[in-house]
Amino acid sequence: MVCRVKFELINVSKIKNGKPILRNINLQFLSGSKYTILGPSGSGKTTLLRLLNRMEEPSSGEILFDGENIKNIPVTKLRKKVGMVFQIPVVFEGTVEDNLLVPYSIKGIPPDKEEIKKALTLSGLKESFLSQRAMDLSVGEKQRLNLARALLNNPEVLLLDEPTSALDYETALTLLDSVNELNRVLGLTIIMVTHQVEHMRILNGSAIYIENGTVLDKKTTQSRALI
Amino acid sequence: MEYTHTLVDLNYLDLIIALSLMLIAAGLYRWYRIGLEVALIIGTVRTFIQLLAVGYVLKFIFDFNRWYLIVLTLLVMIAVATRTVVQRQQRKTKELPYIVGFAITVGSGITLFVITQVIIQIEPWYEPHYLIPLAGMIIGNSLNGSTLAVERLDSEIASRRMEIEAYLALGATARQAALSCIRSAMKAAMIPTINSMMVVGIVSLPGMMTGQILSGTSPFLAVKYQIIIMYMIAFSVAISSFLLTHLRFRRYFTAEHQLREEAFS
Repeated sequence: MVCRVKFELINVSKIKNGKPILRNINLQFLSGSKYTILGPSGSGKTTLLRLLNRMEEPSSGEILFDGENIKNIPVTKLRKKVGMVFQIPVVFEGTVEDNLLVPYSIKGIPPDKEEIKKALTLSGLKESFLSQRAMDLSVGEKQRLNLARALLNNPEVLLLDEPTSALDYETALTLLDSVNELNRVLGLTIIMVTHQVEHMRILNGSAIYIENGTVLDKKTTQSRALI
Repeated sequence: MEYTHTLVDLNYLDLIIALSLMLIAAGLYRWYRIGLEVALIIGTVRTFIQLLAVGYVLKFIFDFNRWYLIVLTLLVMIAVATRTVVQRQQRKTKELPYIVGFAITVGSGITLFVITQVIIQIEPWYEPHYLIPLAGMIIGNSLNGSTLAVERLDSEIASRRMEIEAYLALGATARQAALSCIRSAMKAAMIPTINSMMVVGIVSLPGMMTGQILSGTSPFLAVKYQIIIMYMIAFSVAISSFLLTHLRFRRYFTAEHQLREEAFS
């Protein structure tokens, strides 16, 4: 595996409503690797994730993607390369298939049935789901649909914002298995925010511990993660 | 056969007879303690004063008959319509009066131009007997359409915020992400117009047509005018709500296709 740097954060800070959320963050995310961002709620985990696909802007500092400042990459292009799955799954009106056609309509290209089937399988959904109304799916299935929809942009990185928090224990574990599979099969860089240490262990990636907007050093992270 | 009917003149005694019917209505409501009699009387008085005043204003405009006074009247009508649309909104943002004014001016302006200069071809171009009542109907309907469009767009964007973010995260532009909200707002703006087009002549006779028939116009000519008016109203609502929704949704997004947090607070 080529271990090049996918994302690099240089002195990144974020202030919201006069309150510092992230302070002077310096981090590197390697291509094809897995990362778990841990920390108490309100520590700035989600904000950090949202800076990477420019859902929000840092107040200062630079973020590089493949060595290029993300401000110089058209934002719609960046977000196709850096997919995101939210804490609460979002499904659009219509069937599962309608939902999976959205990435194509955004790009303005004809849908590729084979690609859709592949994304569906990789996300752990059966083909028979295609004709089902998306609103009728269980939360776990909705989250898988969100995963499949993000995959249709052929992303290089997948940002997961507490993707398992709305799911029950078993469903969460199988979803994490699917995420691991995506990393193994597609070589996707995975950056997942969670507050559950067990989920970090299942993902089996590097742990980044954030507290009060700063990244703790490796030693402290290990001690926190063992709690 | 030539149509020779002319409108019967009315004097103030006739108005007083009509007024006494209102007193009977108010008395009935008071007797049953419905509690609306004061509002009914205020409404009665306001109708009297407002319409009488407008009668004098129109008479002055028609007699004076100068293009600048007529254009000024149209601008005042647009300004009042704009103010009404803005006042009915929950989110009265700084730019709202400008975009509403622009949308109503363009939507009604094009419509009014086509109906007066291309279809009826009034002479001179500012002939107030045509221009002012037609402008009143078109601007009035643009006002209603614009109110509904802004109201619906704001509420849709607020309630579908997560959906919009999901779109943006997939690489959609702000416009792509807001499109379903824009569609829903444009639909809300047009529905009253469609409803009235569906039942016109069956359930209700439109005011303008009734007025023309009463004043002696042949029913066929009155109907032709009404048909044109209905189409023009729909057109002006379509243009106004299209412009308005497209100018309005942008305030919810940054230039980098991010949701603007402060737009929701």
